[in-house]
Amino acid sequence: MSTDPIWEQSHNEPEVPLAEDIAPGTANDPDAGATERATITIDGQRVETEAGATLLDACQTIETSGDVLALCSYDENAKIGPRSECRTCMVETERHGVVPSCSFPPRDGMTVHTDTERAREARDVNLDLLLSNHNLLCTTCGKNGRCELQDVSIENNVVDPRYGVMHDRDQLGPIDDSSPFIQIDRNKCILCNRCVEACNDVQVEGVLRMEGSGDDTRIGFQNGAETMMESTCVSCGHCATVCPTGALLEQGLVDATTLPVPGFTHKNSAEEIVGREYDHQPTQRTPMKSELETQNEPQASEQFTTARADRS
Amino acid sequence: MADGRVIDGTPAVRVATGSKSHGRGQELLRVANEADTSVTTAAVGSVGHVGLEPLVMATVDGKTAFYSRPSTERMETIATTLEEETAPAGGAMAVVEHDPATPVLPTPETGPLSVGSRRVLGGCGWLTPTNVDEYTDLRDDLFTDRAKDDPESVRTAVMQSDLRGRGRGDASTDTSIAAEWTTVYETSDDPLVVVNGNEADDHADGDRLLLESAPLTVVDAALSSAIALRATDVVIYLSETETIAYERVQEAASALDAVTDTGIPIRVVTGPDEYTAGEPTMALEAIEGNHRIEARRQPPGPSEYGVNGRPTLIHTPRTFAQIGALLAGNGSSGASSDPGTRLITVADDDSTLATTELSTDATLDAALSAVELENGWHGACVGGVFGGMTRSLDVPASAPGLRSAHLGTNGVVELLGESTCMVALVGERATFAKETNCGRCVPCREGTKQLVYILRRVYDGEYKSEILRELARVMRTTSLCGFGRDASRPITTAMEEFETEFAAHAKGHCPTGICNQS
Repeated sequence: MSTDPIWEQSHNEPEVPLAEDIAPGTANDPDAGATERATITIDGQRVETEAGATLLDACQTIETSGDVLALCSYDENAKIGPRSECRTCMVETERHGVVPSCSFPPRDGMTVHTDTERAREARDVNLDLLLSNHNLLCTTCGKNGRCELQDVSIENNVVDPRYGVMHDRDQLGPIDDSSPFIQIDRNKCILCNRCVEACNDVQVEGVLRMEGSGDDTRIGFQNGAETMMESTCVSCGHCATVCPTGALLEQGLVDATTLPVPGFTHKNSAEEIVGREYDHQPTQRTPMKSELETQNEPQASEQFTTARADRS
Repeated sequence: MADGRVIDGTPAVRVATGSKSHGRGQELLRVANEADTSVTTAAVGSVGHVGLEPLVMATVDGKTAFYSRPSTERMETIATTLEEETAPAGGAMAVVEHDPATPVLPTPETGPLSVGSRRVLGGCGWLTPTNVDEYTDLRDDLFTDRAKDDPESVRTAVMQSDLRGRGRGDASTDTSIAAEWTTVYETSDDPLVVVNGNEADDHADGDRLLLESAPLTVVDAALSSAIALRATDVVIYLSETETIAYERVQEAASALDAVTDTGIPIRVVTGPDEYTAGEPTMALEAIEGNHRIEARRQPPGPSEYGVNGRPTLIHTPRTFAQIGALLAGNGSSGASSDPGTRLITVADDDSTLATTELSTDATLDAALSAVELENGWHGACVGGVFGGMTRSLDVPASAPGLRSAHLGTNGVVELLGESTCMVALVGERATFAKETNCGRCVPCREGTKQLVYILRRVYDGEYKSEILRELARVMRTTSLCGFGRDASRPITTAMEEFETEFAAHAKGHCPTGICNQS
């Protein structure tokens, strides 16, 4: 509690909603970054790093030999990431081999190379793997021209991704068009988790979560809803702001940058649209907000946290 | 009768079973008890040879006869004959003379039971699993009491050893555990100790064997480690389907707590019976009670940021058993680069057969005499679901030896008969990886998908070996956890050892005929 006098007369009990019921479905990751300052060498250049810095921070202060893509990475100061899932930020260190620069801590005396064959291969293959599961219909996508996946693909000179792209209509899942404010097209999602962190860690709304596993991993809703409009979304838009691709888009921008090819639009390029019945919803709030419920039962038989409580 | 000591009982009948034949074992024990004789009876854990179980051991005055899977009638005869102080010789697979008070399983000179050492398995199948009194017959003191008196000595013994972690569920798999111990000790911010016994790999039986047959060894080693590292909690983490291990570990923990009174609570926590849930960071997630289990980003690893962010030592029961053997001062054993022993479970196409203990300087083929094979084998998958394919088992049972042969270290040798198609088998393993991965990182989530697609295209005549190798390499070097790092091993090793089978499939021909049937 602050010692500022303005707080002295105020309640000790904060009246903001507690975040205890929020269950984003993601791991309890440690803080990334170094615990102390370090001096390291990247591509032959000496770099000083502060406490809290990652190798990626260090790489970004200089002109590196290789392009460290770091697609899923976002500003950690914004309480988002590093998720370290896309693995397109791999660099090679002499001591630890190939490591993800977005979350690896610089340690004093470390020598890093960004342009070794192994590091480049790792970034290239992982970027192509991302594209293999991405609807690459850029011309009918509202993010065309301001898409981070598109940017890094161009930066990395991707011409013919080795695993192809997802373009057969029967491979595509439906677009969630239920909300009048935010549209979800999971065919473009790279599961970077930025939206989930924006929704839970920044806005503390507890709407979005990571769900499923393996092939079925996807962004879903903490109340188990199938569509955005049945979720507890308050339409703040932070998820769409942080989304690196066209997976989460503000409705007004859905066709903002699509190319004017006669007969082709964003929506008719999809296999199916769900949630048409919610067109022209008059309120920003989703109907479910007042009936908050979650489906987040722990997987373990008894929570270890309760064990600690009854010990004392 | 089963609650008392069985060691000095004479005559005595032990019925040894693992969880797979537990029901039948209970039945035999009931028959022995109903014979209403003065014979001491006891239910003991598996000796490791699950293929021979229930295994009945009849002991009279330092002489024990072994009977594999006796009928109910046979069991009755054994019990009644024993009362007259003789064991029926007919039908016994082995008869061994031994010190009447021996706390370790007496083993014959020849036959399956003679295979391997019993450095950590000593009491398995011989001692009543949860009886502390019998357990202390193995040596003079409890590790826990030693740690209470002199924690420094336990710490030094481990930190100065070259012992490596055993099994995929260990935070120090195949690497020196001293490093993890040092980090946990130095981080010293309310640390805790986790025994990761959740192994959903069907054939990897080593941890289950220890937890069911020698739970006290595991709990004692874990509790003494906790004291040595100034940890304030011990958590034993199991799969929710391991009911026998759960009961015995609970019982062993409270029995040990009663005599040592350490004040360190021991909790048994269960998680999902899924392969991913045994990975060390996913074990932490399950213990914390997360509703969805995915791998945790590292570094820092569990030794700095474990359960609820506390420094956490996480070892498998196999590793704790090795720590026990180290503390017991049983002399040095095995290869100097990887001291100790390794539990190797031999399985065939259908079933798990036997778990034996090999010194790390022995070769894997030594484990084969523990089983009787009806048919030959033309290859083996070594190391569990994501093990490596090989034609030869002339490979050291040490971590460096297995690694340099590109095989897995999770303690399984799965023998593959003539009718096993290697291409189909590695396809199944890739599909398993694709369907069961946690979904977090791209090289594993998307990479396993592509592995399956590219393998499928072999059947269309398109065998892109370089693309497969490149993908496997990137999965191995860039995946976030051990699951993705291991997932491509069956494919890359099969491509080395069974190249001709891949080439034949690309030409539309499966040498075993399996793939042509559908």
